[in-house]
Amino acid sequence: MATINASVNISSDIMSYPVSISKSMTMKKAGTCNGLELANGLSSKKFTATTQVDLYAYDTNTTTSGGANKVYIRNTGSDKAEYFKVTLADTTDAVEEIGRLYGGDWMLFPWEAASADHDIMVQPSTTEIMTIEYMVFYE
Amino acid sequence: MATTTATVSISSSDIVPGSPVSISASTTCMKAGLTTGLEKMEMGANTLTTGEGSTSLKLATAAGADGAGKVYLCNKATDNTFYLRLDLHDTIVGRLYAGDWLFIPWSQNDTTNELVIQAINGSCPYEYAIFKEDETRVAGS
Repeated sequence: MATINASVNISSDIMSYPVSISKSMTMKKAGTCNGLELANGLSSKKFTATTQVDLYAYDTNTTTSGGANKVYIRNTGSDKAEYFKVTLADTTDAVEEIGRLYGGDWMLFPWEAASADHDIMVQPSTTEIMTIEYMVFYE
Repeated sequence: MATTTATVSISSSDIVPGSPVSISASTTCMKAGLTTGLEKMEMGANTLTTGEGSTSLKLATAAGADGAGKVYLCNKATDNTFYLRLDLHDTIVGRLYAGDWLFIPWSQNDTTNELVIQAINGSCPYEYAIFKEDETRVAGS
């Protein structure tokens, strides 16, 4: 059993009083106190086209459907005008957009991986060189 | 201009044998395509019961369309079998088990792109924060 810890710290002065959120978690298998045991390794991909592609595809050999999988993605660029559109495939709408990672933005989210229609897809906003880094933790 | 900063750290000494994982990243949350910080936020806490079924955490609105919003959500349940299922409209994103949190961008690419949560196996106390650019306000009655 592996131990994977993740923490987030969010601070903001949007309000007239300081907003500070700090939270840690240990990534565990679904419904248990045992840690996730598998990961794809920290990876990066370079893009030079605006074509939408699979970043990480559902795979019955490596992905546990309905598990407690976690996905980390970051746009390694610094340009706040360029972004990656991050989407999940969807059986009815073809694609459901989660959001856009602008330069430096990151995300960490649970991935249901319910079926082959739930691939994690990304689409760069420009043909300029853009790089994304990602890591998937799964059961 | 407001400044909202989000930092993540992920570490594991044993998930990849012989190669410890150590990831750190930080971003300042800006409006879409700009170097101006997000200026609106809402946060809260509640408890969702299994009997409530699918519940909208936040509706997408036309004014927020294609924005650079960010969402933080944490399941504060303590029973390892209780989880919050997060959907975007009719697509399952994933399961937040007890103690799990997420941080995602939310672009509200259309007005059906709502955030939906559902408690499974037991009641889930949760907390959330949404940082955003704008939203459509509802007229008073």
